[in-house]
Amino acid sequence: MRQRLNGTLASLAVLTIGCGAFGGEVRLSGAGATFPAPLYTRWVSEYEKGHPSVRIDYRSIGSGGGVKAIADKTVAFGATDAPLSEKEIAAMGGTDSVVQFPAALGAVVPAYNLPGVDKPLQFTGAVLVDIYLGRISSWDDPKLQKLNPDAKLPKTPITPVFRTDGSGTTHVFTSYLGTQSSEFKGEIGVGKQVKWPLGQGGKGNEGVAAAIQQTLGAIGYIEHNYAIANKIAFGAMQNKAGKFVLASPESVSAAGDATSSELKGNVLRADAWNAPGDDAYPISAFTYIVMYKQLENINSEAEAAALLGYQRWTLGPGQKFSAQMHYAPLGEKVQAAALAALGAVTHKGKAIPVQP
Amino acid sequence: MTPTSAASPPAHASGWSREPTQSPRSKSEAGVIRRARIGDAVLGWACRLSAALIALMLVSLIAVLVHSAWPAMREFGVGFLISSEWRANEIERPVRDAAGQLMLRDGEAVMEILPPAFGALPVIWGTAVSSFLALVIAVPISLSAAVFLVRVAPRLRIAGAASFLIEFLAAVPSLAFGVWALFVLAPLFQKYVGPWLHRIFEPIPGLRWMFYESVTVAGRTIERPIPLTGRDLFTGSLILAIMILPIVTSVSRDVLRAVPRTQIEGTLALGATWWQSCVAMLRYGRSGLLGAIMLGLARAAGETMAVTMVIGNNNQISPSPFAPAQTMASLLANEFAEATEGLHRASLLYVALILLTMSLMFNVVARRLVVGRIASSGSH
Repeated sequence: MRQRLNGTLASLAVLTIGCGAFGGEVRLSGAGATFPAPLYTRWVSEYEKGHPSVRIDYRSIGSGGGVKAIADKTVAFGATDAPLSEKEIAAMGGTDSVVQFPAALGAVVPAYNLPGVDKPLQFTGAVLVDIYLGRISSWDDPKLQKLNPDAKLPKTPITPVFRTDGSGTTHVFTSYLGTQSSEFKGEIGVGKQVKWPLGQGGKGNEGVAAAIQQTLGAIGYIEHNYAIANKIAFGAMQNKAGKFVLASPESVSAAGDATSSELKGNVLRADAWNAPGDDAYPISAFTYIVMYKQLENINSEAEAAALLGYQRWTLGPGQKFSAQMHYAPLGEKVQAAALAALGAVTHKGKAIPVQP
Repeated sequence: MTPTSAASPPAHASGWSREPTQSPRSKSEAGVIRRARIGDAVLGWACRLSAALIALMLVSLIAVLVHSAWPAMREFGVGFLISSEWRANEIERPVRDAAGQLMLRDGEAVMEILPPAFGALPVIWGTAVSSFLALVIAVPISLSAAVFLVRVAPRLRIAGAASFLIEFLAAVPSLAFGVWALFVLAPLFQKYVGPWLHRIFEPIPGLRWMFYESVTVAGRTIERPIPLTGRDLFTGSLILAIMILPIVTSVSRDVLRAVPRTQIEGTLALGATWWQSCVAMLRYGRSGLLGAIMLGLARAAGETMAVTMVIGNNNQISPSPFAPAQTMASLLANEFAEATEGLHRASLLYVALILLTMSLMFNVVARRLVVGRIASSGSH
């Protein structure tokens, strides 16, 4: 029933946009985060199938670049893993002129290279902090053995691997470790790029993954979907409730749902890491879309309608592609909050006709 | 009959072609010369302009770098060169007094915010040490190969082929070297060479620093064994050595070739052995050879991709060659694309400026040594 309604509305949308653009194509551009780029590319291709008159071009240039591009008004929408900072919001004209909402959830996993260990290892935040600060330097350390009584841990030295480039992945990982250890927060700190006291650096997920795959006994933090795609073993994390949980679309969505009460107004943000709940995966985070509330960066009404139509579609029917691409879909409450934020969007003060 | 018919077409053809061209040429000879002069002038100016353009590119490169690096230069000054902190994030932490106790105000810890800090010492160290090690490995091989090319290969009639092979090595893209180092050299080191070195050298007193690193966090220092991963300063230097071999060898070969034959024959006539005469040849060309080494150094200091793939990318100063390190070029490759924050970006450009200045200096010195040498020996 709902599906059919969506279909009808979609075809209506095609007609409306078609008329608005005088029968031509509507072109939209977005830029930003590389982490959700595979999902966004899929969304665009699925959406364009149903809306042949809309062409959307998403360039994955990094969160920082995406924020800069939308602030410079060179794109229709920006995408970022870290929510806008106060300074960035001010640069775009303050809270009243910005709309930010989550589009999907992702997870960061502790991936390792230990041949012979078949079952996923179990980690706690404290143990990861100890590994990254050099206090645990061998896999047969009693702390690790205690967490994994059944695993036969070798006497291999541990090589921690980190990201050298600024990234949302590092931001999520350090934010989570910061909640687990005040020492980590005070010495290493939280951010897109931090100074690690030891270990190997790699550029991008691919650099970290290569270092892990090449080094016996390496451990590193990479995105969940990247670990799956490259078949790299990763461990389960102990969550706030004390349960060990593997990253999965369900456990990551659960982490998002647990923090949905933080999502208010038109600039939404919620820290999904270390979320409460038995099923929540603790190193989870939202990834966001940023637009102007009055779409002053958009010229024509047809483009504004198409942009809004596309974004609504990603929050509704588009969500079913998230799990297929190993991202986590937004829960109902989060979807509702995001759609409410989108509801505040106008085109230079004029209401935009609602399309699916 | 046959001769006439055979002869007439050429006569006709030549008469036809000669007549119309000859008279206009004599008439407009001045015009042709004028046109040629204009052509000369245009070409001359085009050449001058192109040459100026190249100089302009270098000047504007430096200008743009200085301009973009200015915020970092103003903030850190020359201290940038000796500061070893490289941290792009702010740190918020509780203030501790001299005794290490938390400072409290109204029952809550007083917080301080450490701003991002940037210093280039770790990457200058990484660049200097990796380039130096690369020279230590490459120079003996290069010089031996150059002597072979000049003194032995011609006799064996393989000088051409051997030179070609060495110069071909210079044409291999650096990414190919990097991939090879990452997938062949690093695992080889990790599996065999590393453990072997560890077994032999670790028990020797005084060499402990090679295999252990100390990590200081929150005032506490831990000593831990360095995992021998094969992605470290040593492997980085090794791949650099391979990459600078061709340039050092081919320039050395040219320098040695320019050593006058009389010089070599003189040494042999005085009863020198083959070995002694080679040493004399090397000594004669020493300033040119030094130039060749400087060119290799410039190449090593600026090399990016291959080094980034195997050096471990950690901005730290460790005495051990088996610890991960970072060079100036690899730092830029790692961080530049995502460095959006102003001071961070400016600091990276400051590093780029230092690298450019250094390479420029190496190149200028090297050119003086090499060009001066080859020219003066050529006039002998």
